[in-house]
Amino acid sequence: MNNQDDIMRDAARLSQRIQPERDLWPDIEQSLEPQRRRNWTPMLAQAASVVLLVAASSAVTYFAVRDDTPASIAVQPEYVFDQAAFGANHNLGPGFTDARSGLASKLDTQLEKLSPEQRADVEENLMMIRNAIDQINAELAEDPDNAYLQTLLLKTYREELAVMRKVSDLTQNVMSRNDI
Amino acid sequence: MKKLYLILLLTTLAAPALARDVNESLAADSNGLVSISNVAGSVEVRGWSRDTVEVTGTLGDDVEELVFERNGDEIEIRVKTPSRMFGRKDITSNLDIRVPQGSSLEITTVSASIDVRDVTGDDIELQSVSGNIDADLSGGDIEIGTVSGAIDVQGNGGRGDIELSSVSGEIAAENLSGEIQAESVSGRVSVRGGSFGSADFETVNGSIIFRADLEQRGDLSAESVNGSVDIKISSAIDAEYDLETFNGGIRTCFDKKAERTSRYAPGKRLSLTVGDGSAKVAVETLNGSIDVCAG
Repeated sequence: MNNQDDIMRDAARLSQRIQPERDLWPDIEQSLEPQRRRNWTPMLAQAASVVLLVAASSAVTYFAVRDDTPASIAVQPEYVFDQAAFGANHNLGPGFTDARSGLASKLDTQLEKLSPEQRADVEENLMMIRNAIDQINAELAEDPDNAYLQTLLLKTYREELAVMRKVSDLTQNVMSRNDI
Repeated sequence: MKKLYLILLLTTLAAPALARDVNESLAADSNGLVSISNVAGSVEVRGWSRDTVEVTGTLGDDVEELVFERNGDEIEIRVKTPSRMFGRKDITSNLDIRVPQGSSLEITTVSASIDVRDVTGDDIELQSVSGNIDADLSGGDIEIGTVSGAIDVQGNGGRGDIELSSVSGEIAAENLSGEIQAESVSGRVSVRGGSFGSADFETVNGSIIFRADLEQRGDLSAESVNGSVDIKISSAIDAEYDLETFNGGIRTCFDKKAERTSRYAPGKRLSLTVGDGSAKVAVETLNGSIDVCAG
């Protein structure tokens, strides 16, 4: 017990902030430039992937919510998504899923104003995107550090949100202008 | 007598809805905005040399009214439909509209097709859910979007800032120039003729075809998950090429061959610089094939 107290006391004396030997960010930032992307070392590539994942996840979520999406949305049960997978080791977290659920709920409201054929067309195309996401996720599960697949997956998630928002906005815009 | 009532009732019910003719005009600003909305039918817009907006055509029998009014330099043309749409309603309206040639346009429809010719205004915004959009434009800021409708835009080489998007509709652009951005989920994107300083294309399943010029220091980017990308830059150009696919093939007219990105995973990449590499061409796919050539 005393021994454990000693360890805790010694630990408390340690500095609360540990400075890294070298700030890796400038190297990573430079490596993110497209023309230098090919020269990554594996370590930098992995570090950059994590940074990219976090930054892009935030960007995707920001992209989804920056518009007029309400802060709090009653989500219908069929639109509660699982956490968005990102290969085998990561996911895009609750912020992204909340944004996607919000957009899906808004889209559903707008789709009710369209004909069954139009609704089916939108749903079929959203399904195509989700299938593409599944495909990329499956590849990424095999090759989790593949920066190309990570980027492509983020873009495809972003495309899904963009299509949901675009269809929703366009329908809302058209319908409201026609007083339907 | 009862029989007569019955016949009259049946005749009334069976009578086809009658379209109403419309023929109205308003004085307009030569460079003003004309805003048009129509649910079903068609919208045909033609530019002319007079400072007048003229609307002719037919309104569906159940259309409440045609709103046609001027507010400053803006003219609004709106087919007002019943607020309650129970049962079958005849709201199909076909509008032929003449506008001053320099007008900007903002047109929205649900299923009505849109056809625009001879309009040279700075801002052209055309949107439809399922109607096809056909436009012949000379440049300016052009934004065209549909969900399932096809987009067919022709230009005369005039420069513009062009944004085209659809979900499942095909996108075809011909003889446009300037900056172009086109995206679709499953629709094919095809750009032919013209010259671009910036060209940006994205699809999920739709193929991408580019047959046009890229300017010196221009930037061309094409991305697809499953669609093929076929790029032929009309003139030889100094450019840096960066082509990458995960499962697809890469074919070019350059001497250099694509290389595997990993010994253990699929993936091919071809990076090369032609001349001083001032222009940039980047293509990425997951499964789609990549075909690139210049000159």
